[in-house]
Amino acid sequence: MKKATLFLLILLAASIALGIAFGSTSITWSDETARTILFRIRLPRVILAAVVGATLAVAGITFQTLLRNPLADPFILGVSGGAAAGAATATAMGLAAHRGVVPAVAFIGACAATAAVFALAQRREHLDPTRLLLSGLVLNAFFSAIILIAFALSSANDVTAALRWMMGTFFGASWSDVVLVAVLLILALVVLAFVANDLRMLAFGEDDARSRGVDVERVKWIGFGVSSIITGAAVAVSGIIGFVGLLVPHLIRLVWRRDYRFLLPLCALGGASLLVLSDLLSRTVIPSTELPIGAFTALLGVPFFLSLLRRSR
Amino acid sequence: MSLALADVSFSYGEKDALRRVTVSFESNQLIALAGANGSGKSTLLKVAARVHQPSSGDVSYEGRALREWPAKEYARCVGYLPQEAEPAFPMRAIEVVLSGRAPFLSRFAWEGESDFAAARHALEICDAAHLADRYLDEMSGGERKRVFLARVLAGTPRVILLDEPLAALDIAHVQQFSRLLREIVDRTQCTVVFASHDLNWAAAYSDRMIVMREGTLALDATPPEVMKPEVVAELFGFEARVQGGWLVPG
Repeated sequence: MKKATLFLLILLAASIALGIAFGSTSITWSDETARTILFRIRLPRVILAAVVGATLAVAGITFQTLLRNPLADPFILGVSGGAAAGAATATAMGLAAHRGVVPAVAFIGACAATAAVFALAQRREHLDPTRLLLSGLVLNAFFSAIILIAFALSSANDVTAALRWMMGTFFGASWSDVVLVAVLLILALVVLAFVANDLRMLAFGEDDARSRGVDVERVKWIGFGVSSIITGAAVAVSGIIGFVGLLVPHLIRLVWRRDYRFLLPLCALGGASLLVLSDLLSRTVIPSTELPIGAFTALLGVPFFLSLLRRSR
Repeated sequence: MSLALADVSFSYGEKDALRRVTVSFESNQLIALAGANGSGKSTLLKVAARVHQPSSGDVSYEGRALREWPAKEYARCVGYLPQEAEPAFPMRAIEVVLSGRAPFLSRFAWEGESDFAAARHALEICDAAHLADRYLDEMSGGERKRVFLARVLAGTPRVILLDEPLAALDIAHVQQFSRLLREIVDRTQCTVVFASHDLNWAAAYSDRMIVMREGTLALDATPPEVMKPEVVAELFGFEARVQGGWLVPG
């Protein structure tokens, strides 16, 4: 555990250092403009990438543990669909030009989607994981329909702008974004640490956990609720960034095969590193052009994942 | 010292799974729970293990009603092995067994030396010490069963409830596992209740047999009293004769 934490901390520090050091402008200390770029633009961007990466990975490992399903990711309960539908609707109404409107509407969409999924999955005061999964899946399909209609009603320019947001980006990141997500992430980690000992027992099934004195319903509500809220916040500030929440828990689990209590902090550190590096690549591979960050999380993560998978038995 | 169900009923939605069952499990007994599929064996164990709340009737342990027991304290006294308890992600045997110590851990605590000692001891009792560092998915069915029994034993419960522990084991392992249950009762004077749909093995080493039928308790007797052609014909619809203490098709 200590070695793993230390290794991932060093990886994160190195990633952040690289993320700050490289960019479309080279930074020198003596230059006033360069310092402004560093503190107002590049630093918040790098830190936001780290915080969002940690958030998505934490939500991912929590969903996978709760649903006992290695294919679960932070967006599986319809958060991404709700957010995207909100963003697309705002675009269709011609609101895309106003700064901050699209993220705000997206956050509302994410919250509405989550609330709907939870309401649908309840059965006799019991939160049914299969129903949760199915409701999330079906709602995502419903939101796709809304997105298509909204896009059909929008101008090509607006659609391009909305798509850019949907693909995920840290362009224009501000310190207030960082504070919002960081505060929620810290609160979430504290709450999840509270239930971690119980949550890991769900790996053996709900009946087994109940027989061992775990208040299964409470743990499910806390786990799903907290993960959904932080995912919604991450989506609101950075759009929909795929793969991190799915991939990082698997990567971490391939190296350190342990239970949820170990994996939670390790996933946070791993997710932060992966997203900082992905963001660095997305803005530097082609100078003065930003490529979709979600593409780089997959480009970086998938080969790494496959090589680990091949080596593990 | 006993775990008692008094007039307990339970239903899954519309379907009655248990109907007014009264039974008590005394210490120092190996008790077999027999009955056809769907007769209520699993549900009875789940109600006793605090997995399900009875829809009517009372469960009590040591004379104290179940709802008055703090959940974790009850879990320290009563251990339960469900039919399916495969972890969702790969785990080593020692980690699986250590998780059996969960009722003893406080909220933020990690397993300490005493928990490791209890886990290793439980693995030894189950003749599975050599499996400690192996992954569950690399093991045979018999090895996995022993690891899961060790997981229950690691919690040092006084009442052990096992749902179909002999299912899917080959004949040598069935015998080995049944003897192990007998040894555990004889050595620790605890209570072991195991569900089994194999009458012969349910009877082989048990002190007592409880036969369920359609959610009710049909018979509570000693193995020799149950293992009679007329009784099994009546209770199970099995046409059998007795040969050397075993029921064979007649």
